[in-house]
Amino acid sequence: MRVSELSAEELGRYARQIGPGVLSREGQLRLRNSTALVTRVGGMGGPAALALVMAGVGRVIVAHGGELISPDLNRQVLGSEAGLGKPRMPAFAEYLRTMNRFVEVEAIDHEPDDEEARALARRCDIILSCPPSFTERLRLNRAAVAAGIPLVDAAQWGMSGTLVVVQPGRTACLECLYPEEPDFEEMFPVVGAISSAIGALAALEAIKILARTGTPLFGKLWMIDGFQGRSTIVDVARNEHCPCCAKAC
Amino acid sequence: MNIRVIISGRHYDQLGHVPGELSLEEGASVDEALGVIQAALPEGNRLPPSCLVAVSGQHLGTLASHQERTLTEGDELVVIAPVAGG
Repeated sequence: MRVSELSAEELGRYARQIGPGVLSREGQLRLRNSTALVTRVGGMGGPAALALVMAGVGRVIVAHGGELISPDLNRQVLGSEAGLGKPRMPAFAEYLRTMNRFVEVEAIDHEPDDEEARALARRCDIILSCPPSFTERLRLNRAAVAAGIPLVDAAQWGMSGTLVVVQPGRTACLECLYPEEPDFEEMFPVVGAISSAIGALAALEAIKILARTGTPLFGKLWMIDGFQGRSTIVDVARNEHCPCCAKAC
Repeated sequence: MNIRVIISGRHYDQLGHVPGELSLEEGASVDEALGVIQAALPEGNRLPPSCLVAVSGQHLGTLASHQERTLTEGDELVVIAPVAGG
């Protein structure tokens, strides 16, 4: 539900993030009136969703299927020992709800297919793409481009990760970057610290975009290589023949 | 001329043999530099064709399909193997 102003309680909750160099009061209100889709909510999407909920994005839709298994707990911060062997989503969503009563958390207990992704995108202001496969990433990218909403793609391997920030119609999309779907490595190695770092930075991009503050990394790929201690930013070129975004612009 | 090389992304652990700086002939192309990098990899290792290729922050395409470009002194050649992982 859209509101025209924040309550005194909400202003109190967000007191540390409203001010110079962070969010304006109007920016915080924009967050309050925004909807973000985060799929999935594992190593990166979990911290991303948590940061969005804590920052006060009004509605956070989280999607993730399956049951929590022991190897997930090296990085999936929404999980716990008590949740092992149980479906992830009820417990993950409940934990998010405990973190901010001013935010609505909508839980989807599976990975959206093409049709559902497009329908969800039409209800959202931004998508945070954090799944393990390029098939799902490219699906979310197509949904974001079709709906004309920004997409923040977060990915990881080992002690490294990337962010790609897409503004449909103005910047390269994920399919411009990956015209052929790269191979998918199911049991990729990863350290949870980089997952949380990349997820948190994905959330920061989303917060800047939704609140209209700072300089979003639109059209850029940011590689953070924790193993080698490097950070690299690349301006991603649009593909004028991109089957996803060329006809949408 | 010398250029810097940054290789990252998936399987960075297998790329330790690639030098961080390459000495190339004046006017060398991106493809020539990529050939030197491929030759420096341990036998049997290949960079994936879907690797992003960029020079000094400008995206040129993938390893399999990219714009050609002449390198100049001090350029930074970036090769990033795509990562997913959730």
